[in-house]
Amino acid sequence: MSGVQPSATDTSGAQSTDGAHTAYGHDDRNDDVLVDVRGVKVHFPIKRGVIFDKTVGHVYAVDGIDLQIRRGETYGLVGESGSGKSTLGRAILNLEPPTEGSVEFDGIDIASLQGEELRRKRQDIQMVFQDPMGSLDPRQSVESLLLEGMKAHGLTKDGTEASRRLRELLSAVGLPVAALKKYPHEFSGGQRQRIGIARALSVNPKLIVADEPVSALDVSVQAQVINLLEDLQEEFGLTYLVVAHDLAVVRHISDRIGVMYLGGIVEEAPADALYATPLHPYTRALMSAVPVPDPLVEDRRERIILTGDLPSPSNPPSGCRFHTRCPWRQETKCDTERPVLRVPDIPGVAADHRVACHWAEQIESGEIQPHEVTAEFVEQHAGGGDGSLMGPATAVEAMVHHPGNTAGGGGGGG
Amino acid sequence: MTDTLSTSQQHRNDDTPLLSVRDLRVTFHRSGEEPFVAVDGVSFDLRPGDTLGIVGESGSGKSVTSLAIMGLLPKRGVRVEGEVLYNGTNLLTLSPDQMRDRRGAELGMIFQDPLSSLNPVVPIGVQVTEVLERHRGMSRKAATPLAREMLDRVGIPDPDRRLKDYPHQLSGGMRQRALIAMALAAAPRVLIADEPTTALDVTIQAQILAVLKDLVEDTGTAMIMITHDLGVVAGLVDRVNVMYAGRVVEAAERHPLFADPRHPYTWGLLQSIPRLDGARGERLNPIPGSVSDNLPWTSACAFAPRCSQPIEVCTQRTPELVEDHGRSLRCFNPIQHGRPSPDADTTRGTSEVTR
Ligand SMILES: Nc1ncnc2c1ncn2[C@@H]1O[C@H](COP(=O)(O)OP(=O)(O)OP(=O)(O)O)[C@@H](O)[C@H]1O
Ligand SMILES: Nc1ncnc2c1ncn2[C@@H]1O[C@H](COP(=O)(O)OP(=O)(O)OP(=O)(O)O)[C@@H](O)[C@H]1O
Ligand code: SF4
Ligand SMILES: [Mg+2]
Ligand SMILES: [Mg+2]
Repeated sequence: MSGVQPSATDTSGAQSTDGAHTAYGHDDRNDDVLVDVRGVKVHFPIKRGVIFDKTVGHVYAVDGIDLQIRRGETYGLVGESGSGKSTLGRAILNLEPPTEGSVEFDGIDIASLQGEELRRKRQDIQMVFQDPMGSLDPRQSVESLLLEGMKAHGLTKDGTEASRRLRELLSAVGLPVAALKKYPHEFSGGQRQRIGIARALSVNPKLIVADEPVSALDVSVQAQVINLLEDLQEEFGLTYLVVAHDLAVVRHISDRIGVMYLGGIVEEAPADALYATPLHPYTRALMSAVPVPDPLVEDRRERIILTGDLPSPSNPPSGCRFHTRCPWRQETKCDTERPVLRVPDIPGVAADHRVACHWAEQIESGEIQPHEVTAEFVEQHAGGGDGSLMGPATAVEAMVHHPGNTAGGGGGGG
Repeated sequence: MTDTLSTSQQHRNDDTPLLSVRDLRVTFHRSGEEPFVAVDGVSFDLRPGDTLGIVGESGSGKSVTSLAIMGLLPKRGVRVEGEVLYNGTNLLTLSPDQMRDRRGAELGMIFQDPLSSLNPVVPIGVQVTEVLERHRGMSRKAATPLAREMLDRVGIPDPDRRLKDYPHQLSGGMRQRALIAMALAAAPRVLIADEPTTALDVTIQAQILAVLKDLVEDTGTAMIMITHDLGVVAGLVDRVNVMYAGRVVEAAERHPLFADPRHPYTWGLLQSIPRLDGARGERLNPIPGSVSDNLPWTSACAFAPRCSQPIEVCTQRTPELVEDHGRSLRCFNPIQHGRPSPDADTTRGTSEVTR
């Protein structure tokens, strides 16, 4: 591998970035909503027939989601593979136009944007992917990778300005200037993720959607990237949407967390409240399943072991989507009525903690006790989306190479 | 059911090692390149009923160690040295045919990607049945109901119907169960599980680990659990070997290892992991750099460039693995009482280097 060492960051340079961030820095309305997702659904048609002309059903990947992301916060989305996290992230960028519902970014409906206006807004939202190698063109040097987005958005007026900006970017993500002349394969996984982040930063975005940004990395390197994301947020006032399956990682970096199950949010709360008082049966199970690197904790831990697999999103269970695996399921309501995300009537639970379970109050009080669940077999479907989302590095690029065909590559959804 | 599985129960409290790996060394010879030592002097014992965890970052030699034990490394371009004593026989001296007989029957293995070890064109019921016929000498007629029970035991719903399913009809988690059923059908005395849950969701991982834990307890099978996740071994194994760049750097019983990590690498790993039950807002303390910064073991401590407290000798000599009170440690300047040692001749804080 290359001898490139991550170097100490020279913050003096990185601070003096241009307009976008400075202007943003004065905007201190922290409770202000940057992203407003209303009733969003993304349904993928399942096509059959010789020329795939018949729609035989739908994958209800995202099925009715409301969420707000406030300026400067980190919103974390967790959930099982196939629960629709990546699809929701892509819907927010309009890379996957919602089947229903709307996404407002900075007060403007994204779907309504066109031409120059759309291009400008796209600059404000950037993506960071799980697999830095898959999202970086191997034939481009780091310099050209970083300049690409800046040029596309007219951010490089002249050569000196550009090279100053490049040095700032590298220093912000902790890479030496020598990295500019190198190619992606000459870097380690963690360094490539730094390049991916520098690339997203290069166009001064307001929002960064990070889809499994650390899950491909070794734990030591993962921690470096998590710290980096936290530092950059502070430095540039960024807003993050972090999509990840690792609850410990999500809890560490998020201010608020939404827990997804089969296309819906089943619980949403500030990170600490979610950990202290998980209310939804699925959140409880998820929380209890995460291994803790401490034998003392592990030895006395009680696990809620779920039975069976995540049901297919093309044939979601009726009523509460979790009812087929829920240890607290009741005879009434659970299999017939879909619970809405609501603030439960539980002492000590704040108004920013919402849960989609009919029996949240009774479960929390102990009035309803868990019981055994018989696992149901879930038929597997060939094809489907690929969870790994090896897409283009920027939203701009994604617009060019149509995003619709990135799915279907692997068995990620299983 | 249990009686058919508990063949090695009687060995549980036996003190002689069942598997004894001595100074295992695996060298890859790649044309036009320097020979690459992927596993370097690894030794450990496994008694009946023992569970051993092997942890370490990507490329540390975990899988190569297990493949060497199983005799599954390619024959060309690979040199395997040392001894793998199983019941007194050095497996490394066996012919491929002799080794094939031991695999499955006495040494079972579960991989991260179950698809690679399941035959895609044979129903899983037949695959489990075949194991029972081949390794347990059963007739097909006797084996089929047992295969069904095995699938049930590992938590595959509706096992009667699933017997006829092909691997692609099962989810990742169900395939992994099928593979566990297959591996355990032969009642092996040693089971090596190489990242068996890494590709699975955490709720499914919890199910699989519970199944594995129950099965090895019931059957007295000794298990080697290979994982990069310290959380997985924390609640599962008796002893943990921590590997770095092909060598064991620390080995101890799980409680002392986690309570008092002595090697700066073990310590650094534990500092790097965001814990679900940790205080939020606390900054992680990553190990700086990456494995590409390693020094060669032959003349230094490979970890020195990333270490939080290297001293001069660390870059000049190879630290030996020294055993003391049941813990093996390869370090010139170990962590004392959970804190980096004040003797360190560096003032750099780990978090400064890489932010
Ligand atoms: N373009 C597509 N066409 C059809 N189905 C799709 C498409 N993209 C995703 N899906 C399906 O939608 C569901 C949700 O997928 P998504 O990738 O959003 O899940 P995820 O929560 O991100 O999972 P992972 O943790 O595996 O990344 C899955 O069943 C997936 O197979
Ligand atoms: N067939 C091979 N030929 C050459 N080098 C190999 C071969 N197999 C493994 N290696 C090298 O040996 C080293 C150890 O690999 P190994 O697969 O044991 O790592 P690991 O600890 O299992 O990592 P991971 O967590 O990524 O699975 C790596 O540097 C790898 O590149
Ligand atoms: S609504 Fe019913 S099935 Fe759904 S989580 Fe609550 S108790 Fe369980
Ligand atoms: Mg995804
Ligand atoms: Mg491996």
